[in-house]
Amino acid sequence: MAVKALRPEDIRKWLPLATLAVLILLVGIAQPSFLQPGTLIELASDTAVLFILATGVTFVIMLGGIDLSIQSMASLASVIVALTITRLGYGSFLLAIVIGAIAGFLSGIVHVRLKIPSFIATLAMGGVLFSAALVISKERSITLDETGRAYQAWITSQAFGLPNVIFIGLLVLAAAHVVQAHTRFGRYSAAIGAGEPAAYASGVKVGRQKIFAFVLSAAFAAVAGVVLAGRLASGSPTLAAELLLPSIAAVVVGGTAITGGVGSIWRTLVGALIISVVRIGMTFLGVNIFAQNIVFGAVLIGAVAITIDRTKIPIVK
Amino acid sequence: MSADTTAAISMVGIGKRFPGVHALKNVSIEIKPGEVVGLIGENGAGKSTLMKILSGVYQPDSGQILIAGEENRIESAADANHKGIGMVFQEQSLLPNLTIGENIYLGNERQFTKFGLVQWRALYDAAARQLEKVKVDIDPRMRADALSFAARQMVELAKALTLEEHAAGHLVILLDEPTSVLERAEIDILFNRVRALKSRASFVFVSHRLDEVLQLSDRVYVMKDGEVVAELAAADADVGMLHRLMVGRTQQADYYYEPLQMPVQDAILLEADQLACGAAYRNVSFKLRAGEVLGIAGVIGSGREELTRTLAGFAPHTAGTLKIASREVRLETPAEAVDLGIGYIPRERRVEGLVLFLSVSANITLADLASLTRFGLIDARKERGVATDWTARLKVRTPNINTLCLGLSGGNQQKVVLAKWLNAKARILVLDHPTRGLDVGAKEEVYELVRRLTGAGLSIVLTSDTLEETIGLSHSVLVMRDGEITHRADAARGAKPQQIDLIGHMV
Amino acid sequence: MVLVLLCLIIAVINHNFLSFGNFVRISQDAAIPLVLGLGETFIILMGSIDLSVEGILTLAAVILSMTVLNGLNDNNLGLLAVLLVLVVGGVVGFANGIVHVRLKVPSFMATLGSWFIGVGIANALLGGMAIRINDPLIRGLAIRRALGLPWGVWSALACLAVAFVIQNHTRLGRYIYALGGGEELAALSGISVSWVRIATFTLAGVFYAMGGVLAAAQLGLGNAQIGNGRLFTTVTAVVVGGTSLSGGEGGVLQTFVGVLIVSVLSNGMVLMGVPPSVQIGLQGLMIIGAVALSIDRKVRVVK
Repeated sequence: MAVKALRPEDIRKWLPLATLAVLILLVGIAQPSFLQPGTLIELASDTAVLFILATGVTFVIMLGGIDLSIQSMASLASVIVALTITRLGYGSFLLAIVIGAIAGFLSGIVHVRLKIPSFIATLAMGGVLFSAALVISKERSITLDETGRAYQAWITSQAFGLPNVIFIGLLVLAAAHVVQAHTRFGRYSAAIGAGEPAAYASGVKVGRQKIFAFVLSAAFAAVAGVVLAGRLASGSPTLAAELLLPSIAAVVVGGTAITGGVGSIWRTLVGALIISVVRIGMTFLGVNIFAQNIVFGAVLIGAVAITIDRTKIPIVK
Repeated sequence: MSADTTAAISMVGIGKRFPGVHALKNVSIEIKPGEVVGLIGENGAGKSTLMKILSGVYQPDSGQILIAGEENRIESAADANHKGIGMVFQEQSLLPNLTIGENIYLGNERQFTKFGLVQWRALYDAAARQLEKVKVDIDPRMRADALSFAARQMVELAKALTLEEHAAGHLVILLDEPTSVLERAEIDILFNRVRALKSRASFVFVSHRLDEVLQLSDRVYVMKDGEVVAELAAADADVGMLHRLMVGRTQQADYYYEPLQMPVQDAILLEADQLACGAAYRNVSFKLRAGEVLGIAGVIGSGREELTRTLAGFAPHTAGTLKIASREVRLETPAEAVDLGIGYIPRERRVEGLVLFLSVSANITLADLASLTRFGLIDARKERGVATDWTARLKVRTPNINTLCLGLSGGNQQKVVLAKWLNAKARILVLDHPTRGLDVGAKEEVYELVRRLTGAGLSIVLTSDTLEETIGLSHSVLVMRDGEITHRADAARGAKPQQIDLIGHMV
Repeated sequence: MVLVLLCLIIAVINHNFLSFGNFVRISQDAAIPLVLGLGETFIILMGSIDLSVEGILTLAAVILSMTVLNGLNDNNLGLLAVLLVLVVGGVVGFANGIVHVRLKVPSFMATLGSWFIGVGIANALLGGMAIRINDPLIRGLAIRRALGLPWGVWSALACLAVAFVIQNHTRLGRYIYALGGGEELAALSGISVSWVRIATFTLAGVFYAMGGVLAAAQLGLGNAQIGNGRLFTTVTAVVVGGTSLSGGEGGVLQTFVGVLIVSVLSNGMVLMGVPPSVQIGLQGLMIIGAVALSIDRKVRVVK
């Protein structure tokens, strides 16, 4: 009896991976050049930034919240790097991440202490971060010079024949996975997302965990901004602006429930790859790059509708 | 006295089962036009289930409902309204942010609507007329949340009365514990209104306050264990008689493993002194010793539910002192209670007891992950060991420790909750309706566990569904009514009090 | 009231604030957020959230620019085009409602999807291009005046009047409040929660489309970026105005005040020389402040 009830769960578990495989095959059949190692490596490199961003917000979504400030945080991080890299060198990366952590902490406090729903708290925070980025960059894009770019070599160069960003992405994957699956925080987040009243009653300090999730989300967003600044050799307040939707889509399409509780970093990886394949695949097939947003929007709704657990929400607001 | 004696509503042979409990067994009641019918019974006797069927919230599994002599089905709350059945709930059912007039006609504004626009003057005039019927002087343009409980109660009565304009037959209004939030003077006013309205409607008066039921009703039905055990004319009955009818099933000593009831130890684990929490309860004082089961008996509104929540850390007390292991504390959150060794087995175990979508193992370790953590990481092997150990010790029936708790039966879910607290080395367990929804076998397992645990020195504060269970399991019983302790009884092995001794202090 | 205080403070700092020209400028700035805010207010009163503002607005502006007298093609639908885009807005809103109600997708997710679908379609149609609008009637909304105020401002005020009537004099309006005040109770009284939801999202969509018309008129063109950042100002205005996020409290008049507060503040900051980049951040802080200060009578499970 318990086994039968799990069947639809099994489908949900494997659907994203199966979808990814099918998509790669489809594009590959339509355009064989897609399946060449060079292209696939390109794909992986391009996915890295998206994946890091999506990983961060996965922590918040697993708790049952949302973070709409990640793109502003990433952009701000790129600006911080661009402005301070000549003076601080490698320290600029650290600075950006620390500021990210602080911003996340503030979002968390606003959400938990002031009892403001996460989407409003992070929407507002996103505005503040965007504003900050505009001000300190004097509303312009900042290109890095030679000395600056030298410090970014660890992002832009290669090792063992593969672009470094892939290794960075894998490192993030490993770290995030360990946090999500093997730490107390990871366990508590899953519990809070899947059953907050029970977690609360079991003595979990829910507020503290939520704040930490926002810290992680913003810190990862900052890392994504740092990497992006490396790849584009510039920093600007709108550098990552287009990445909000694909990041959230990546998490959801990967199978993490938007209501929280069910999910993992692996799922986000699969989701990010799906988004990338769709995006790059569409380009390969000659689909208008702007029309891609339509597809994303539809995919997002579809993915949420399929993965959402109706039994958990009596009243959908 | 009406010459028309056909019942306005008859319920014949109604049966209703829920998973694990046979709520109603062959219940038949009649409500005649123009009378007040009282309905009394202990918690779990079936009163509210019966009323929910009558108001369309539940469907009966068997039996018939006859309205004005004709067989009928009540499909939904709205349908009940159409058929002339109105409800005045215990929990307020007015929308606080709308006006009185809007609330009275909520869902029925069409009669006042022209070209899509609501004619407010006409609606408020009509609302004023409805309020006339209950003789209450309130401006229908006031917001609902600006009124007192008593006034809102009257508005709900007025709202229920609006049904008479549309219903074909007689109006029947269900009053569900209407007096628990009212002052004495307000209760008198309510009763006067009801008596005055008898010419327009029949009433069903559900309440724990037996004296009030006798005061207001013409006839009284007594329910026990899902059956109607008596039907009396109110004039022929007194409170003592009702008590005897409500309780009194002989308890089998073995059912509660009474022989295993060990004497209480000396160490005082928890002490409450003049504890109070807002208006819910006050002057609560007791001592909880190691190895003791302290039962708290009372009906809804007695304050015992809130007291239980205070001990579990959900509702910090507002006056008095609470000492745990001789240290004075104030439990602001459950986390503080857990740190002090208190475990809570909640009424809603699927919501507050377990995270259903996590595994058995994850749930068992949830309250004490610290001891499984080394260098920030959870030791998976150690966790498996702990989970397997507890599953075996409490005999939790599950395919394996990684199964989601969703798939477990109620009894096994309860055991997982218990395992969680035992794993967290809880010394005091607060049990809140621990056997609700469990079948007989599961209940027995819980009783046996209670004996084993208290024998080993654990203490338990028990709030139970039934008086019988409370008496059977406890070493001592506190009886509460209207927020205060009204009686203390010893329930030592072999010397248990009878239910009849306690019920007088509860209702 | 906060608004009066604000005006006084700014007037003291910079006398230009009190000039009629400035007043007109403020009203022009406030027109579009007001119309958008009206739609969002109904949604928030219900206890939901609508993130598709920018999507529907952009779609409406783009379609309008393509169907009236314009610099790209030979269409000349005139006022019919306005009707068309209002219908389109309603349709997208309707879709939001259906997805939310039938597929049980939380409102912020469903509308997040529409947001990007709307902008996506606009992008697909135009790419980075802009279409210039030559229709005199549409341009007139921004240029032609009556009693000193542009037609566009009067249109916005007309929308306010319509919204007010809907809110206080129709059953839909009361049911929206009922849903926000206590959904289970409302359902027990026989209100069809599903239909109220769907109708409200549809209505909001029409308002957002109207906002798109005004935006296109103001800029004199339609492009895919025309909606950027408007969600933020809309939510700010509604929240600052006093409509509670948990639903059931507030209304279109409060949003009107909120829009004025935001516009006056913004105008004041310009007069005082504060750069717009900083204003965004300040708006963010305003949202937080306004929500934190609003006394929520119900205990929410905050997600």
